[in-house]
Amino acid sequence: MGMSYDAATPLRNEVDFELSGPWAAYWVAMLRVLTGWWFFHSGVGKLLDSGLNFGAAGYLQGMSGTTLGPLATFLAGFPDLLGALVPLGETAIGLGLMFGVLVRLASFFGVLFMGLFFVGNASFGHGLVNSDLMGMLLFVTIIVFAAGRYYGLDALIERTEFVQNRPRLKYLLG
Amino acid sequence: MQSNDVDLADRLAIALSGGLLLLGVVVTGLIETLDGAPRGAAPVTNDAGEVIAQPTIDPNIRTALVVAALLVLLVYALYRVAVPHVGTTKSGEPATESYPSD
Repeated sequence: MGMSYDAATPLRNEVDFELSGPWAAYWVAMLRVLTGWWFFHSGVGKLLDSGLNFGAAGYLQGMSGTTLGPLATFLAGFPDLLGALVPLGETAIGLGLMFGVLVRLASFFGVLFMGLFFVGNASFGHGLVNSDLMGMLLFVTIIVFAAGRYYGLDALIERTEFVQNRPRLKYLLG
Repeated sequence: MQSNDVDLADRLAIALSGGLLLLGVVVTGLIETLDGAPRGAAPVTNDAGEVIAQPTIDPNIRTALVVAALLVLLVYALYRVAVPHVGTTKSGEPATESYPSD
């Protein structure tokens, strides 16, 4: 409360962004768990249906003319690796978010996935702001707010001596 | 601002809305995922468009749980407008009357 009044950023005057309010902590945790479930469901479904042989290369190859074309076609050159990494990655991102472990690292890869979906799906029939973009924004939000610290295991992990001695790890945790 | 004060209404609204959301999305979703096709909430159709597998849990039940969670938040919001948190003023002195602190 000792802060001086800052008219440009009114939130700063009252919300010291430790997210101390119980509602803020509750909702940031809910966003994390529900976003995590979204990816976990997608990854586990692929694992159960096609194991480590998910066919992602064709989709990426089809993105050749898009903004992320060079990245997508480069990735499409590794179909076997992708067949395993896509389902495992989605599952791992989902588990990380649901349990709150390495949330910022997991969300970074979530942004990568959703960036490819946003550009690749190109479902712009209702405008550029679509659910793919919203999904990407959720991951960014989770990174910015360090959502793993609220009812997530990252809160405990960050208190360990190992992390305390290596504070840069908090950019991957949290 | 976000108040650290929580009363019974806050706790009830958080627990009930959170529980309903997690039940409607995650718990029922886990059941749906693990018990075979379809793994999502939509039926599986063959090439002819015929439905060959229905979801185990009616998606209407799952969406009803999600809508119920939002209704809990709406009821809480209306209650909070009617009965604001008794907070403190900006100078830190106790407010002399009810003062919305959120």
